Amino acid sequence: MLSDKTDTWVPVALSQDLPAGQAMPAWTPAGPIALWRSQSGCLAASADRCPHRGMRLSHGFVRGEALSCIYHGWSYSQAGRCLRIPAHPNLTPPETIRVATRSVEEAGGIVWVADGEPDGKPPLFEGYVPLRSLTARAGHSALSAAAGTKAAVEGFAWQAPGAPAIRLLPIPEETGETLIHVLVPADCGVSERIAASRAAESLRRMAERIEAEGAAS
Amino acid sequence: MIDDAMRDEWYPVGLFSRLDRDGRETTLMGEPIKVALDTDGAAKVTGENGRVLPVSVRYGHIWSSLGEPRKAVFPIPEADQPGRRFVDVGVVRVRCSPLRAVENFLDIAHFPFVHTDILGSEPHTEVENYKVEIREDEDEVWATQVKFYQPQAAKSASGGITTEYMYRVPAPTCSVLYKTCPPRPGEWDVIALFVQPLAEDLCDVWPWMALFDDETPLTDLIHFQQTIFLQDRSILENQIPRLLPLDPGMEIPTRADLTSVAYRRWLKRHNYTYGAQLVAQ
Repeated sequence: MLSDKTDTWVPVALSQDLPAGQAMPAWTPAGPIALWRSQSGCLAASADRCPHRGMRLSHGFVRGEALSCIYHGWSYSQAGRCLRIPAHPNLTPPETIRVATRSVEEAGGIVWVADGEPDGKPPLFEGYVPLRSLTARAGHSALSAAAGTKAAVEGFAWQAPGAPAIRLLPIPEETGETLIHVLVPADCGVSERIAASRAAESLRRMAERIEAEGAAS
Repeated sequence: MIDDAMRDEWYPVGLFSRLDRDGRETTLMGEPIKVALDTDGAAKVTGENGRVLPVSVRYGHIWSSLGEPRKAVFPIPEADQPGRRFVDVGVVRVRCSPLRAVENFLDIAHFPFVHTDILGSEPHTEVENYKVEIREDEDEVWATQVKFYQPQAAKSASGGITTEYMYRVPAPTCSVLYKTCPPRPGEWDVIALFVQPLAEDLCDVWPWMALFDDETPLTDLIHFQQTIFLQDRSILENQIPRLLPLDPGMEIPTRADLTSVAYRRWLKRHNYTYGAQLVAQ
């Protein structure tokens, strides 16, 4: 079961949204992270801050098997060690220059990140495939009220009229928003996937309305 | 009230050429101020409760202070040199510490990555050794003999050249850069960065130039500098923390960062800490 504890797996992104050679920002309760996939397809996650000048590494670029900071091009290995400082091309960076890394695993098309040494593997949702992610400007209680069920972080089932039964994975964000991964039954056809996507959007709008009313009252 | 030596320094608060009787409402270090022309056509700055603030008009800008400046606005001798063209670039608002904005201006190692194919390009990333000093008489930070390969160093440059730079920091939120002037060897183009601290983590950046360039249209000169500063903004708004860490430990400098190291040390020595973070978190 997932919780706010930092040694548990957090589903930070969908595999399909992070192609090889790209970096993206993500967030876990332990702080912001830079999530990236090397040219050969290896996933890595590190603290989202270059120790040189504090620039967010998630704005950086991937070359080969390293992530480079966009500010001065300092590059880091998947293990977090600084490999190269372009201002001093002949210098081997000291081992002390490194970024903290996180455990990262991919399961069932979802990218999972943990801070410590989590027990076991991330969960698999048998019979489901990821459809898309969306961000709701709403917190946990507004989302629960909109869904009519507890928006549990380990995922919950939800169905709108005329749409297939879907599974939603809500992840609280730093901003008070909620990132929601939408999973659909693996055997869904195109029209059912479109219906599921629209159903998730309507749930998001409802949760945002409840959140806004709650904030106003 | 701000307990900081920066209170008694001068800051840019607007372009003189744009000023009228109606004036301009802005902010200086958290205090709402109004900058306007008075009936005699002179610039006037008022703070909260109508308090009249010090005023100076230099280098196309109006300067003011919340405290009592002990000196005039720092000199830029090139501003009086015949044959130069003075360019008011305008303003870029940046959600960052005013000190971070200045430090970025002093940095050349980011050129190939942030100003790609304009001020720098790979594989020309090496920063050669240069000289940095705090000049005690003027009380300014100076970096000299700074060299960098640039694909297009200025609007007037065609093709790549190794550009030589000098940097000075004459005030906590201002820097003046001297760089090789392609059409006139032996002279230096002057590009200054005047930063208005709105808050500790928000600033208006006013670039100003004094160039030997009679040919490039004004719009192109302004557009060139604005392109550069907008690229810098994408960095400055994404540094953590927003404030500039003055204590060692939070960030890792290398030889290429000696200007920044001297700037931070000079700030700390003067208790110029508005926009700074003092204790490493």
